[in-house]
Amino acid sequence: MNQPHRTANRNALGFSVLLLVLLLGSIIALLLPQKAPEGYIAEIYQSGIRIHSLSLSDVQESYTFTIEDGNGHVNEIEVRPDSIGIVSASCPDKLCVKQGFITDSRLPVTCLPNKIVIWLRPASDADSEPDIITY
Amino acid sequence: MSTKKLTLLALFTTISLAVYAIESAIPPLVPLPGIKLGLANIVTLILLEHYSLRDALSVLLARILLSALLFGQAMSLVYSLAGGIASLFVMAFTMKLLSKRFSFLTGAMGGISHNLGQLAVAFAVTAAPGVLSLLPFFLISGILAGLFTGFCAGAVGRYLIPHLR
Repeated sequence: MNQPHRTANRNALGFSVLLLVLLLGSIIALLLPQKAPEGYIAEIYQSGIRIHSLSLSDVQESYTFTIEDGNGHVNEIEVRPDSIGIVSASCPDKLCVKQGFITDSRLPVTCLPNKIVIWLRPASDADSEPDIITY
Repeated sequence: MSTKKLTLLALFTTISLAVYAIESAIPPLVPLPGIKLGLANIVTLILLEHYSLRDALSVLLARILLSALLFGQAMSLVYSLAGGIASLFVMAFTMKLLSKRFSFLTGAMGGISHNLGQLAVAFAVTAAPGVLSLLPFFLISGILAGLFTGFCAGAVGRYLIPHLR
């Protein structure tokens, strides 16, 4: 086997290891238990601005409300005890509705066409803005 | 640019548009934005491997602009551009270091960088820190989809390209 060939093989091994590490790291990150004992605060962002913040452990009975942005984009949000989700939306793909209800901080409910993000912040965390914002 | 080259690039653009259209008809497996196979990436990989970075870039840009015009919303143009250009340059770099037998690795690197580019745009658009928790999903789907498209590109390159010469 000549020299360039061996280098190419070594590079392939390097890339394989890198990909494997990323894959395993991601799987581990998803499997880690992330339940917050004190419950969660639901935070709703529209175009990057927090427009609602509510404690899910205070919810006794389910209710819904709608968010409009004035340009015809509408999302209807349902709050249940310990979970929150989007139940109907004006966006074309309805991916936000299919994401269902979230009960922990692992995944946000995201509606990219309407620029809505709902995520749950553990109530034990201080009400903090992101560590760093870069533009 | 010779007429033959022009025709060939136009043909590849048409193929990638058709593949893109077919893929968008497949219902999403996971209800998350941005998780898909990225079949049009096969064409980019083939062009990178058998033609040049410039050819791959022109077909990529033509495909993204046309698909945004034909099927998309204005916002999907920005996401496609960020993902497409990021993955193009990462794949061009990876390909220099690997022999042709490993096109699936190049594809996987491209898949990851495509998703990272899109996630960066999503983060910039929504400015919500929660978006970053999509990262593990995007990495996994990028690797798996990239391995698949890279494998396809390798097979197509082996059997189809010799007949185009």
